[in-house]
Amino acid sequence: MAPTSTSELLAARMRLPQHVLHRSFVAETVVLNLRTGKYHGLNPTAGRMLEALEAAPTAGVVVPELAREYGVEPAKVEGDLIVLCQGLLERGLIEMVDADPA
Amino acid sequence: MQIRPEAPAGPVRKRATMSVAFGLLLEVEPGIEIPGIPDVDAPHLASQPPTRVRLDARELERRWSTADHTPGSVRELRDGETVLLSVELAPPAGYLLHAPGYARILIASDGTELICDPEPGSSEWSTLLPAQALPMAATLQGFEVLHASGVVLQDRAALFAGPQGAGKSSLAAALLHRGAALLSDDTVALEPRGDALIAHPGAALLQLRAAERDRLSARERAVLGPPETFLDKQRYNPTLAASAAPFGELFLLERSTHGPSIERIEAVDPFTLLASTFNLSVRTPERLARHLDLAVALAATERIYRLRIQPGMDATQLAEIVHEHLAAPS
Repeated sequence: MAPTSTSELLAARMRLPQHVLHRSFVAETVVLNLRTGKYHGLNPTAGRMLEALEAAPTAGVVVPELAREYGVEPAKVEGDLIVLCQGLLERGLIEMVDADPA
Repeated sequence: MQIRPEAPAGPVRKRATMSVAFGLLLEVEPGIEIPGIPDVDAPHLASQPPTRVRLDARELERRWSTADHTPGSVRELRDGETVLLSVELAPPAGYLLHAPGYARILIASDGTELICDPEPGSSEWSTLLPAQALPMAATLQGFEVLHASGVVLQDRAALFAGPQGAGKSSLAAALLHRGAALLSDDTVALEPRGDALIAHPGAALLQLRAAERDRLSARERAVLGPPETFLDKQRYNPTLAASAAPFGELFLLERSTHGPSIERIEAVDPFTLLASTFNLSVRTPERLARHLDLAVALAATERIYRLRIQPGMDATQLAEIVHEHLAAPS
């Protein structure tokens, strides 16, 4: 599979496959792949990003929202979000779909 | 005058007996005695379909050999080169537990039937039922079984989880002297019921190594009744909790140079909770999801505590601390 550019990634909608579920704990979010039986841990910020990604029409949309929430520069959030998305995509924990037409 | 007809001649067929353990109503075939799980009259569970436990080597073989899938190993416990327990899965036959020298037990995929094939001359084969097979059947029927000892005190369940040798069993034993009733010394079946978690009694068995037994006072040992030797342990049959109890607290035992102490864990590590499971063999999506949801439910209770134990600490001292904590108003 060809590597995805960051612009493509930010323009796409991210969703959790049916065989992936996540649950939030106080200091960690656990993502479970029901096909492999593997558990993955996310820190609270990454867990919050995953929640936001699930609800957003595109990945890029969550950047300003999270930047406001955490009081940091959007560029910093964007960079962290891209790293998170790439990590989750590599592990099959999210999948990219075309953005919903506006 | 009425004349009552005579009973037909022929061999007297003994009836199956009913028992309750790990939240299951068991229908146990004559010829099987499950250690620590006595027969009961359980009319309150009459609506629950029973889990059948029976002896039938031929049927076990038939089902296993005609399974759709080639058996796959899902778990193996070894002591060096020696296999102590193997678990294989072959749908739709189910899970085959094999403890060499003891028995093979085929557990149906839905956990409602256990077909046993004891090895000739094995007098202790049925210990495999409360130790492994019934907790697994409970898992297959929707319970989550923790690798923990547990007692009921003041109408709520206190559970103790931790690594092997941490003192789970001796702590439970020492609490029995302080008015607690045993839930289990090794495996506690939990059932989410609405917003509550219910802990079910397992078997009335408590096994202690010599060093663990020696950490109990004479009065604590007296409550346990007479022991019998089983492998390298002393096995007792203390009184079991009469019924299931709502979850009270979970204590995670930790060896520490500091302590002893009890502290509530504000942000419990979910992976610690997940690792507290007794069953790593059942990996269906439904069960995996249930396992994770139980960890969520346990964390949501906010009644998970770290129990620090200093090396060599006796169970009496530890039980006093725990008892004081449990007796304090919440």
